[in-house]
Amino acid sequence: MTVSPTASTAPEGAVREASSITLDGLRKRFDGDAIALDGVDLTIHAGEFFTLLGPSGCGKTTLLRILAGLEAPDDGTLTIGGRDVTTTPPHLRSVNTVFQSYALFPHLSVSENIAFGLRMKGVPVDERRARVDRIAEFIKLGALLERGVNQLSGGQRQRVALARALVCEPDVLLLDEPLSALDAGLRTQLQVELQRTQKRLGMTFVFVTHDQDEAMVMSDRIAVLDNGVIQQVGPPHEVYERPINAFVAKFMGHVNLFAIEAVDADRVTTGLGELVMDPPLEKSGHSGVLLIRQEVVELGHAVSEGYNGLEGVVKERHYRGSRIEYRLEINGVTLMATAANLGQRLYAVDDRVTVSIHPEDIVRLNA
Amino acid sequence: MRRSAFRRSLTLFWWLMVAFLYLPLGVIVLYSFNAANSAAYFAGFSLRWYERLLGNDQLLTALGNTLVLGVASSVIALVIGTLIGYGMYRHRRRKLGWLIALIYLPIVMPDIVFGISEMAFFITLDREFGVLGPSLATMIIAHVTFQIPFVALIVYSRFVGLDPTLFEAAKDLYASPFQRARHFLLPTLKPSLVAAFFLAFTLSVDDFVISFFTAGPENATLPIYIWGAIRRGVSPEINAIATLMILSVAIAAVISLLFNKESRRN
Repeated sequence: MTVSPTASTAPEGAVREASSITLDGLRKRFDGDAIALDGVDLTIHAGEFFTLLGPSGCGKTTLLRILAGLEAPDDGTLTIGGRDVTTTPPHLRSVNTVFQSYALFPHLSVSENIAFGLRMKGVPVDERRARVDRIAEFIKLGALLERGVNQLSGGQRQRVALARALVCEPDVLLLDEPLSALDAGLRTQLQVELQRTQKRLGMTFVFVTHDQDEAMVMSDRIAVLDNGVIQQVGPPHEVYERPINAFVAKFMGHVNLFAIEAVDADRVTTGLGELVMDPPLEKSGHSGVLLIRQEVVELGHAVSEGYNGLEGVVKERHYRGSRIEYRLEINGVTLMATAANLGQRLYAVDDRVTVSIHPEDIVRLNA
Repeated sequence: MRRSAFRRSLTLFWWLMVAFLYLPLGVIVLYSFNAANSAAYFAGFSLRWYERLLGNDQLLTALGNTLVLGVASSVIALVIGTLIGYGMYRHRRRKLGWLIALIYLPIVMPDIVFGISEMAFFITLDREFGVLGPSLATMIIAHVTFQIPFVALIVYSRFVGLDPTLFEAAKDLYASPFQRARHFLLPTLKPSLVAAFFLAFTLSVDDFVISFFTAGPENATLPIYIWGAIRRGVSPEINAIATLMILSVAIAAVISLLFNKESRRN
């Protein structure tokens, strides 16, 4: 074993106070290209697991690079832990990054890679070794310390990159899609490990991903970005269940969006037919779209009490093991429905079904 | 059946090519150990030509000149070429393709053109300003100019093969610009630098044409000495010099190759 017997179990990072981040009016435009960031205002709380979520080209990576100091904003200010660091070069910021490609130095062993940041900061050899051993034990890397980085698997590289950043005990840890190169099983495992690590250290994590499931599993709060603009910020359940607009809804995986055609008293007309909402729409909400999440659509032979009732035909059935997805057609409009697989009888294609939707489960969004 | 015959003939062809390349060298090595005075027959093994070399002051001076020229020019070319290679990498995204083509030009330029231009240039300088008359210094400058592109291209290709985020990782991990050069760039480049040095050294030792046009009367290198000696008739001594040169260049080339391979594996 390469782990020194003196290494304690508690990582030092846990002792340190976490830092908050404030972004104020950040703008960035690349030469000749479209706008990468178009006025981003955001506060990330100390000790939070915060995720920047969006499709490629939405500006999330640019934002992360500005936090790291690898990119300078054209306009706006960035404050980390109460200090304005807008123009501070990366090597003078107490911020470390886990890169998507991991960026491990090929000329150094695993332990030398992990010690790199401490060495550059001038931490004495003894302390360096102790801290490397401690973090290696914490991240479960002990047996790999003397290896070359070319001898590691993808998951091991990811761990080394994480250890290399964590050992510096930065104010903020940035993670740039660190799991995207791994296969699904390992990814799920590392998602849980990362979240656990963050909670144990109490450090501020800023995580970038395009995978909404990953974002929801790990984050305290999520910011959804599109075209360099933050669309919505909130905890996972809020972003998922109450998306602010059609973009966020679609990005979170929702497919049942219906344009509002008319509003009459408490009844809203859409392509599906007339629906009752609770609470009813306010005057200002008479345009936009309605979201009906797949999993709130109930299928049966009769309309449940107090529900909206619709008649439909099953067009497709997708068996997913733990759940079954149906593509229904109602008034010539497609409605997707998901039912948990509890051993009930499955509907077949062309079956007529009665659809029940509770008025509280219908959400109005901006188009 | 027919296929295997075809393969056999390909193998044969390969060995013929190897023989064609190396037999002349083999003959020289063999006759350097010839006891006889003539290259017409082999009269038994002898080291007399090698012994004779050691007593030849002119030749030892030429050997000394070759080594000084080779090491000095390679060191200078390594420093300048590395900086150029790094610059080419740093600015690869800008529209500087023509500048990179400019670096390639000396590689494809015939030595004779290069040598004559250098000579004309140095003579003009000497005439107008009284500096840089033909000497070891002019030879070093001339060699550096044709070595630089090779060094720059080796360094550049090493950088291009690296994950660009490594540069950012070094910044992110608190390395100042100086520390990045010391702890990231140089160690990462090391195998390429060794390879580039030995390639430059081999090129320098090998060069006759450019040396010939830029050398002063005191600065004969081994190739120049050999050329002069051969004009007076081929002596078996020349075979011994040639054998030693083959050996040293082969060693330098192998070292260069091994390090270049290592740098590409990382």
